[in-house]
Amino acid sequence: MSGLDWLAGAGVALLAAGSLAPVLRLRAAGALTFQALGVGLLGAAGALVLFGAPAIGAGFHDGLSPRLGIDGLTGFFLATIAIVAAPSLVYARDYLAGAARGRALVGLSGLFLLSLVAVVTARDPSSFLASWELMTLVPAAAILVQRSDAAVRHAVFVYLAITHLGGAGVWISVLALAHYGALGDPGAIAAQGSGVQALVIVSALIGFGTKAGLMPMHSWLPRAHPVAPSHISALMSGVMIKVALYGLIRVLFEWAAPAPLWAGLVVLALGLLSALGGVLYALVQHDLKRLLAFHSIENVGIVVLGLGASILFASGGDTTWAAIAFAAALLHILNHGVFKALLFLAAGAFERAVGSLDVDRIGGLLRRMPWTGGAFLIGSMAIAGVPPLNGFASEWLTLQALIHVALGPSLGLGLAGAIAVAGLAATAALALFCFVKAVGLVLLGAPRRPEAAAAVEAPAGMRSGMVFLAGCCVALGAAPGLLVPSLMALAPQPHHLATEPSLRIPGTGSLPSPWLLLGIVALTGLLWLLRGSRRAVPVPTWACGQRIEPALAWSSAGFTKPLRLVLEGILRPRREITTVQEHGLVRSVSYRGEIPHLFDTMLYGPVQRQALAAARIARRIQSGSVRAYAGYLLALLLVLLVLARAGAIG
Amino acid sequence: MSALAAAIQVLGGLALAPLLPGTIQSLKARMQGRRGPSPLQPYRELRRLWGKSLADPQPTTIVYRLAPCVLAATTGLAILLVPVGGLSPGWGLGDDALVLVGLLALGRFALAAASWDTGSGFALMGASRDLTLAVAAEALLVLAIVLAAIPADSTGLAAMSAAANGSGIWSEPGHWCAAGAFGLIVVFETGRQPIDNPDTHLELTMIHEGPLLEYAGRDLALLQWSAAARHWIVLVLAAELFLPHWGGFGAQLVCLLAGVALLCVGLALTETAQAKMRILRAPALLAGGCLLAMVGLASWLAGGLV
Repeated sequence: MSGLDWLAGAGVALLAAGSLAPVLRLRAAGALTFQALGVGLLGAAGALVLFGAPAIGAGFHDGLSPRLGIDGLTGFFLATIAIVAAPSLVYARDYLAGAARGRALVGLSGLFLLSLVAVVTARDPSSFLASWELMTLVPAAAILVQRSDAAVRHAVFVYLAITHLGGAGVWISVLALAHYGALGDPGAIAAQGSGVQALVIVSALIGFGTKAGLMPMHSWLPRAHPVAPSHISALMSGVMIKVALYGLIRVLFEWAAPAPLWAGLVVLALGLLSALGGVLYALVQHDLKRLLAFHSIENVGIVVLGLGASILFASGGDTTWAAIAFAAALLHILNHGVFKALLFLAAGAFERAVGSLDVDRIGGLLRRMPWTGGAFLIGSMAIAGVPPLNGFASEWLTLQALIHVALGPSLGLGLAGAIAVAGLAATAALALFCFVKAVGLVLLGAPRRPEAAAAVEAPAGMRSGMVFLAGCCVALGAAPGLLVPSLMALAPQPHHLATEPSLRIPGTGSLPSPWLLLGIVALTGLLWLLRGSRRAVPVPTWACGQRIEPALAWSSAGFTKPLRLVLEGILRPRREITTVQEHGLVRSVSYRGEIPHLFDTMLYGPVQRQALAAARIARRIQSGSVRAYAGYLLALLLVLLVLARAGAIG
Repeated sequence: MSALAAAIQVLGGLALAPLLPGTIQSLKARMQGRRGPSPLQPYRELRRLWGKSLADPQPTTIVYRLAPCVLAATTGLAILLVPVGGLSPGWGLGDDALVLVGLLALGRFALAAASWDTGSGFALMGASRDLTLAVAAEALLVLAIVLAAIPADSTGLAAMSAAANGSGIWSEPGHWCAAGAFGLIVVFETGRQPIDNPDTHLELTMIHEGPLLEYAGRDLALLQWSAAARHWIVLVLAAELFLPHWGGFGAQLVCLLAGVALLCVGLALTETAQAKMRILRAPALLAGGCLLAMVGLASWLAGGLV
């Protein structure tokens, strides 16, 4: 056994030991430390394989005997899991201190991580599917352990129902792949002809897409992520949906490869719908965690746009850009994991400090919670895609890939690429809009309620987790070029790129990210000095001479009003204004507005109603009397006998 | 040559930029039959503001105080990316069009966050309108970049400028569409009619001016310089990529000068002839630009007329 085997083995052992905390009666903080160390070791092993160490463990096979192994792609996902999970677990040490049923939650966190690791290291269909199911069920248990009021139970039910219905797609595609021997021998599916390939790809898109939160299969995500404890939300948004993308990548780029052109276009369309739809609905949310959950849909869409572009390039024979687009998707997976986990952890800290996540009722926390607030600000800028942070680097790369789809040579693909380019640019602008709003309402201005004015900074453990992730946002933004060549090497047709901090890619004006960071910081600092430290005159904010009162404070709905008006046809807002008049005198005006989630009202609602109606019809034959059931059995037997006599079966 | 281009970038962007809005204002006044201020008026404003004391609305944080510096820094870096005379000295920052878009977005983020920090209704109104329009504008800008990147096969600004050199490109309908689409970007980024009115003194109608309301002294000077520098960036970019230019560095500099002057006249003319649009109609205008760009793209990819 090599040193890497030992490293990975030690990681799994530590993680398992940490997960057994409730049974072993270990202290919660100790158990979380064990888990963080374990996942860190696993991530280190993964990173070593990613950066060129030989793969360890078994390769893929189609039999039933369970096997595990780490290759380059698995290594990348293990490293991503570690970067997101280790700080989340450190955060959880203080976050869960004194929480109800903290020890059970600690055990479930570890089990959740084990199942995530198992999905990406599984090398046979049975352990893949088993860990896949475990990965779905454990967070549901973790949510219910902490809260079990009716609303939460409903959210968990919807989560399980939708992910299991969609999850059937995963079973179909993986079992079909195993049946044709395609796990161990990529190319076997292509040999079976386009019908089988289409079945595998479509069922994988539905199955993995549901779990990844791709629109229109996303409806569970904004319900389930907000109700989980914050470190579990961070893991669900930061890692779990990425592990679903891992499955999709394996199918599209390895097991069912080469994916045909239509698959690329479908993937591109799903990505665009998710990116734009996710960010549009995020903009109109009032609950911070729900807003973040919708942004996960948006970012999965951006990743999938990169994957779609990669398929289109590969089918057109441009292997260089196919590899770049593939690397862009992987880079965004890592980047989104980092900043989304950071934002969820910060949301958890705000909720503890203020007691509510209604963005209209927080305000002014940057002053009260400088560490958490500063980390939240960096995470928001990263997700808004502004330089020099990591979100910009991967969005830049994805946008470059889409632009090179649009550059042709074919007219149809060029137009598809141009639509995707325009859509992604609009998505980036909308994300910036949304996070300016979130930052403004949560961190800036005057406190909007007494609890916000009296908020205290999070304890050191929580702070350190968030500060670490904020540091990752800056580091990954400053030197994406150190990672991208290794990611391009994972593409089906690897392509070489020099390893340096900047991204110098032919056909672009290059992204010299370290210099950009240096330039922005140095120039801002210089201007700060020039501006001088003259005494500023404290003045009240200008409101045409009126006094600024809390009732005049701008709300989330007010800030997004122009956009709501422009997009009225798409968002279909509903509002009710009731005016009570007495003798021609207005006594009171009440306003109620909401933006219905159109996918719920127009897609899921009708489907649900039809399903219930079908169930009512089915109930008619379920009389409950034994004689009726005996009659059904007899009838079945007769039908089978008749068929057998006719030679149709047997 | 490259050193000369670098010098023009820095000196032009830093020193000549305020001349652009000044010239437009002065031309506009002439066209409207007024005497108007001298083209040097923005310099006088900057000098006056530089000597004044700062204002600190309560309660604000470091975000409010840092925003003018961040906006001016990103605008300053963006200037270094824009080629002059077809040359991009680089400065180690490359010359990628999307990096330029990103830098402008960072400035927008900083200013909108500062608006939230003051809590002023007028500032927030301006910021929210600016961000709403930016959604359509960013899509349009990136599509215009795609159109300019087709002949260059690169998103580098110097390569795009080189590909648009000469008269051959003007036989492509796609390039005309690109020029039209970028014209809308010029109007949006400079904050001029029909999208915004730079002369308004009514807080309720402001877009770009709104977030500046609370600032005073050197902060305001930095913000006003940034607005002028944004004129420089988009006008130079328009002249370099989408207006005719020929020959080597020297000849191209002459073309650049003529192009920027022409654009100033054009902006003054539209401001005189055209009233401001209803804010909610402006995204439709920008979306129309996107459509135009798509038509141009189809024409390019279908092989053009030649």
